[in-house]
Amino acid sequence: MAFLEQGGSRRHRLGGVSWITLAILVVALIGTCEAAYLTYIHYHGIASLPCFGKHSGHSSCEQVQQSVYSKLDGIPVALLGLLGYVAIWVTLLIKGELGRAAGFGVALVGFGFSLYLTYREIFSLKEICEWCVGSACLMTILAVLTAIRYLRAE
Amino acid sequence: MASRKEQKEQARAARLQQEQEHAAKTARTRRFAIFGGVIAIAVIVIVVAIAISSGGSSNNSSVNKAQAKATYATVNSLIGGIPQTGTVLGQPKAKVTMTYYGDLECPICRDFTLDYFPQFVQDQVRTGKVKVDYRSFCTASCNNTTVSDPQAVFNTQQVAAYAAGKQNLFWYYAELFYHEQGTEDTPYVTSSYLEGLAKQIPQLNLKTWQTDRTDPELADQVSSDLSEASKLGLQGTPTLIMSGPKGSETVTGPDGDIPTYSDLAAAVQTVS
Repeated sequence: MAFLEQGGSRRHRLGGVSWITLAILVVALIGTCEAAYLTYIHYHGIASLPCFGKHSGHSSCEQVQQSVYSKLDGIPVALLGLLGYVAIWVTLLIKGELGRAAGFGVALVGFGFSLYLTYREIFSLKEICEWCVGSACLMTILAVLTAIRYLRAE
Repeated sequence: MASRKEQKEQARAARLQQEQEHAAKTARTRRFAIFGGVIAIAVIVIVVAIAISSGGSSNNSSVNKAQAKATYATVNSLIGGIPQTGTVLGQPKAKVTMTYYGDLECPICRDFTLDYFPQFVQDQVRTGKVKVDYRSFCTASCNNTTVSDPQAVFNTQQVAAYAAGKQNLFWYYAELFYHEQGTEDTPYVTSSYLEGLAKQIPQLNLKTWQTDRTDPELADQVSSDLSEASKLGLQGTPTLIMSGPKGSETVTGPDGDIPTYSDLAAAVQTVS
């Protein structure tokens, strides 16, 4: 954990890393794994994606993952999500205010776009993809954590 | 009374405290300014991303609005004004009936529908000689390896077309499907794709169509088509059966290929 930034404030720390930084690390790790899996599935067959919802022969995840909203200018949103989680990791390597602000910025963009995609799922596609909702929740948590981390200068 | 030295130290401490408070205040103000700046930049990025995402969408994921309008115009010029009843295109009293067994995902059906069917509609159906009755038979859809339940996708897409038929717009829906058909063995037939096709038909009542899609009678109609096709021993789509006063025959092209217009016209002559 030596690579992680160590702030100057007196708060609970684990191995020199603040709890909030550790929480960001863990949530971003889960998000990275999920987004990597969805990116892999996107290129290797959506039908194999486990999903609770089933409708008209497609799982609801298939419907969402194959919809017009699954790509942004030709780039799968799963891949963009993966890049977002990795970028949050990278910001943890940058020391000082710049790293904290960048982490918050990336998480906020991820949160905002996830919110838009969830809106599209509910109101345009009328299908819910649990994986996408899961990722949206992770991005929400990350936006809150990175905001706190920035404001508390940790 | 404090000595002069003590007074000096107190003044120094007060000044230092003031400086620290000022520095902390400046840092806090700066931090909040950056925080606001980050939020503003993030909002701009999100808005741009949403604009790109929305701009790329259309009623149907495979076509843009201009293409969709042009396709509808093509279809309308072909079948507009011809009577439709359910899955039947043409005058109900026409002496000859061509039963068209098809699968909306079948690329060979698309080739037939786009290449040879238009002239047949123009010369034989519009003139009242022949009516065409569409039936469902699962071929390309059932061989789709990219969806978890191909049979269910087939049923859903055929029922979607039959639901348009309840408003006597089946042929608009089927023609649009064939014109905008996706690549075989890909999972392009989704709810949004089917809704996109329906939205391209201006005269279709979308709400009624959505309700009709859940009508069990339409699902039964697809099942009954499949049983009938099975009884007839059909091997593929499109299978075109021409029936008239002098009997009926399955129309095929040279070497068992899809029939051309002349094959169809010859069959009409034979059974009339």
